Amino acid sequence: MHIDWWTLALQTVNVIILVWLLNHFLFKPVAAVIKARQAEANAILDEAAATKAEAETERTKARQANDRLAEAHQKALADIAAEAATEKAARLAAVGVEIDRLRATAEAELLDRARHADEIALNRASRLAVDIAGKLLDRLPADVRVAGFVDGLADAIAALPETTRSAMGQTGDDLTLKAPRALTDAERTAIQARLAEALGRKVAVTVEIEPTLIAGLELETPHAQVCNSFRADLARVASELTQHDKG
Amino acid sequence: MTTSPLALEPLFHIGPVPLTSPVLITWAIILLLGVGCFLASRRLTPRPSKLQCLLELVVGAIDDQIRNTMETEPARYRPLIGTIFLYVLVANWSSLVPGAEPPTAHLETDAALAFIVLGATVYFGVATRGLGGYLKTFAEPTWVMIPLNIVEQVTRTFSLIVRLFGNVMSGVFVIGIVLSLAGLLVPIPLMALDLLTGAVQAYIFAVLATVFIGAAVGERAKPHPSSDKSAEKPTGKPTE
Repeated sequence: MHIDWWTLALQTVNVIILVWLLNHFLFKPVAAVIKARQAEANAILDEAAATKAEAETERTKARQANDRLAEAHQKALADIAAEAATEKAARLAAVGVEIDRLRATAEAELLDRARHADEIALNRASRLAVDIAGKLLDRLPADVRVAGFVDGLADAIAALPETTRSAMGQTGDDLTLKAPRALTDAERTAIQARLAEALGRKVAVTVEIEPTLIAGLELETPHAQVCNSFRADLARVASELTQHDKG
Repeated sequence: MTTSPLALEPLFHIGPVPLTSPVLITWAIILLLGVGCFLASRRLTPRPSKLQCLLELVVGAIDDQIRNTMETEPARYRPLIGTIFLYVLVANWSSLVPGAEPPTAHLETDAALAFIVLGATVYFGVATRGLGGYLKTFAEPTWVMIPLNIVEQVTRTFSLIVRLFGNVMSGVFVIGIVLSLAGLLVPIPLMALDLLTGAVQAYIFAVLATVFIGAAVGERAKPHPSSDKSAEKPTGKPTE
């Protein structure tokens, strides 16, 4: 077999030249652009990873902020509820106090009204009793309204303490004698005689007509009052009835 | 007297240098690939065109092959392995051009390629291991193997030459014989088969060159980080 050494050498040189050409115009540029693209892709991936990490961090921060807001919201609600409960309790207490006050006021007013009604009823009863007694006494002789009470008045004066009796008529003022009607001279004389007897001295008496006495006599001094009349008796009875009702 | 069909007749001379058909066709291939790559690589962008995608696919496939075989970064070996593959492929397929005969159908071209691979094997082995380290590989696993390892260097280079030459030359001869018998349409299936054979031979030649260089670089080759078998080193001898 014949070997053409010139061809062998030329082909060797040709292949070496082709290696240089392809390396310069094909392999290096293409490998460089592939490497650049890989680097760019890696950079993009790194950037994406960094962005993702940043987003995760932001999301974690947002979640924490949200949790803090929710916690603050719950705390605010709890504070408001506690404050509302306190306010409610305070207002209920105030309302209770006001209700108790109003109730006490109403009860007091009701008591006053009842007392006033009782007084009115008592006054009416007293007037009715006086009217009844007056109408009954009108059927008796007129002197009975006075004469029948002279001894009682003298006995009441005699029962007074000595100092009171001795002071009666000593200051120069006349004693005031109230009578249900105008006294006759005989009645005035008899009464003054009985008073002198009861006091142990003669005293001046000024007579005043007081129809509300119905019957009886009442002696008034600046320091004492001696009552012996139906009005006084009825007043005492009414007072005792009232005390009895209260008791 | 009958001349050998394998003999090369000079087409013309430049001074004392005879220029044969393989040389001229190789120049044409160099011109085609060089100008084509120059034009194609002028406007490479991060957003690739279809042509750029094709270029990146070719380069990526070559890189993957080197990376998987040698388990190291392919940049250092890419120009040689890639050029061998592309040149052999284009040279084998040049038979499709009427009147052109593949340069690889002649021993001189195949021998040039094989000698370049042998030289690259020695160069990368010495560059990686050092001269002493590289020579010590001939004594592996024992010094008794030194003669056999030296013979292996020669025989595997010779096998590279013969394998490529035999496959391509036979294809050319078969098509030539068929053409002489039935010139119309009949050779087409054989030409298609010849294309497949040419691609396979280009791949085999490039892979064997990768394996030989990888074996010479051997244990000093830097493992690729992405390789699952990075701990394993290509210490085995290539099979042919």
